[in-house]
Amino acid sequence: MDFELTPEEKAFQKEIREFLDKECNKNVVAETLSLQGAGPYSKELLRKMGAARLLAPRWPEEYGGRGMGAMSEVIKVDEITSHNAPFPLDGVELGNAILISGTEEQKKRFLPGVASGEIDIALGYTEPNAGSDVASIQLRAVDNGDHFILNGQKIYNSEAHVCEYHWLLTRTDPTAEKKHRGLSMFIVDLKSPGITIRPLITSGGLRTNEVFYEDVKVSRENLVGEKNGGWKVVMSALYGSAAGGGMATETKNVINTMVKYAIEEKQDADENQWIPEVMADLWVKTHVAEITGMRATAFGDLGVTNLQYGGGGSASRLLASETRRILYNTAMQILGPYGQLTKNSKYAPLEGEILKEYMDAPRLSIVHGSQEIQKLLIATRGLGLPRK
Amino acid sequence: MDPRLSEEQEILRKAARDFLTDKCPKTLVREMEQDEKGYSPELWKEIADLGWMGLAFPEEYGGGGMSFLDLAILLEEMGRVLFPEPFFSTVILGGLPILDIGSDEQKKKYLPDIISGKAIFTMALTEADGKYDAASVKVKATAADNGYVINGTKLFIHDANVADYFLCVARTDDKSKAEDGITIFIVDARSPGISKTVLKTIARDKQCEVIFDQVKVPMENILGKLNQGWSEVRKIIERAAIAKSCEMLGGMEVVLDMTVAYVKERVQFDVPVGVFQAIQHHCVYMLLEVEGSRATAYEAAWRISTGRAYSSEAAITKAWVSDAYQRVVALGTQAHGGVSIIEDHDMPLYFRRAKAAELAFGDARFHRKTVARNLGFKVA
Repeated sequence: MDFELTPEEKAFQKEIREFLDKECNKNVVAETLSLQGAGPYSKELLRKMGAARLLAPRWPEEYGGRGMGAMSEVIKVDEITSHNAPFPLDGVELGNAILISGTEEQKKRFLPGVASGEIDIALGYTEPNAGSDVASIQLRAVDNGDHFILNGQKIYNSEAHVCEYHWLLTRTDPTAEKKHRGLSMFIVDLKSPGITIRPLITSGGLRTNEVFYEDVKVSRENLVGEKNGGWKVVMSALYGSAAGGGMATETKNVINTMVKYAIEEKQDADENQWIPEVMADLWVKTHVAEITGMRATAFGDLGVTNLQYGGGGSASRLLASETRRILYNTAMQILGPYGQLTKNSKYAPLEGEILKEYMDAPRLSIVHGSQEIQKLLIATRGLGLPRK
Repeated sequence: MDPRLSEEQEILRKAARDFLTDKCPKTLVREMEQDEKGYSPELWKEIADLGWMGLAFPEEYGGGGMSFLDLAILLEEMGRVLFPEPFFSTVILGGLPILDIGSDEQKKKYLPDIISGKAIFTMALTEADGKYDAASVKVKATAADNGYVINGTKLFIHDANVADYFLCVARTDDKSKAEDGITIFIVDARSPGISKTVLKTIARDKQCEVIFDQVKVPMENILGKLNQGWSEVRKIIERAAIAKSCEMLGGMEVVLDMTVAYVKERVQFDVPVGVFQAIQHHCVYMLLEVEGSRATAYEAAWRISTGRAYSSEAAITKAWVSDAYQRVVALGTQAHGGVSIIEDHDMPLYFRRAKAAELAFGDARFHRKTVARNLGFKVA
């Protein structure tokens, strides 16, 4: 047993940290904090990171990666998050699915572009009537031999307005007996005629999108996996993102910021004696989520998936997202009436960032598999509880 | 990072589980709750012969030369079966402190007897206010006749009824601040002036009141340095908090396992109750507590094993695990329903021990205070 990063992982951590210390400038941070999607400064940074092979360290070298283990992804995400560099990078996660399910031609066509920061791929699963029940999507793809014609609508596709491609789950066989048997996966050029992208803004100010497809033509070359075999590709993409995650530098930074604020501004008053224990509890939860996630990631690398190993990966993500929500709520309570002041408002503490994260926190327990879906997965696959 | 147990550790775990499943059924646990001594001398001899007491001690004293992490695995297995023997008191509270700070003579004198199962040790630390801080140590040791005389009452002393020796934490100088002026003594439990009373506790474990009345201790029985014992006591408490957390992890695993097995079988409304998401979510939350406990307890034990600092991880671990065990038992009981609150079900055994273990070596609130201090808060 060993809880330390390997020397190779430590070297990678140092490299990406120093790189972002230098290159993640205030223009990039402003774009990230605007929640409007990767802007020109962010795209430039991504290309620089790509040139330094920092974007997809887990991929084989021939596609622009470094051939490292899953922990390198955890390190990358941790550094990107704590630097407020552009995120998410769905293209890299989806690239893992291309590695598993794509043809050699597709790998050569898409992976080096993603790894070099030239292109990014937006996730296109959810529809107005298909949220957690992904397999019930309806966006129709009709087989015309060398191409397919697409019609329908996707929703909550964040970053679609700044990505080059769409990872699109479609229905190719509406008559299939089981609904997940009639699905097919495509990579679609988002500049294709017939695609309309409309913004949707969350209560936390994050831009996401509705994407409409009207007689959009996509070449058969862009079909990933088998026709009607799309569900398998969805599963391989989930597997790619099923690493436990774990490192929590950003959350720990926020706790430390609030501790400092509380000590300087608040601690002497009698009514604030609750603060130390509550912040300590958050530190405990954050540390436990971190170490649980890292263990799950390391087990994943050894071929023991998170679910086989008692749900460690899903467990850590649940712990982390619940802790995050409590953290920002607690932070708002510490700030008292000042917490409600928005950025640029007179008297706004800590530049209004706590309020912004507080407003965005509910999203994080819903996206990429809601907490309830995570619990369902742990219960049925991890613990083997019956479905009926 | 490598999350796996080594091959030797897997073998140790399997051997321990097989042995304990066979030798420590719940009938024995219940019998020992009523037993005057509270443990089985035959079983004690058997585990000594298996080398368990000596596992983490150097070979020169007859030990197995293995690590604290190996010991942690054993403790986890003991926690699963609610092992009643005075192993924790003897090894964690007696043997390891002697190994750490004992003189060569003390190590040669006491460790071989601990390892062979001849001597039972425990630590006499807590007093009337039940706290794990320096100010609470009020039992006095006064210099006299080339030695010391101890006077006062210790409370909640595990296994004192059967111990051959106490590591008694006493105040040798009360003029300085609380942390200074504390000394650890190795006290022969048969010394004149010692009286012991077993307290009736929730876990029916043998926690005792120990009264020291003019108990003489020779100078050579000072363990570590005169007046400077508190920093060592703190270390002992921190290590014990981690060791106790490993035991608690084992208990939680069993509660989770038996709950999951039960909800798959128990039929209501014509389906196994495990179909209902209300029950599924109880089980999922139990799993989160167990997985979190495993990660943090192993990390802390690994830190001890590899010579890293572990003070802050001890606080994080015991804070998490104390609450986790409570929650696992509460949710497990809820998922079981009425059957699990009947005294002859296994659940009440775990329910009672979860509380006892929570209180041992600082509860969650005690350890969160330490975490708060480490974050920079001034906490009393």
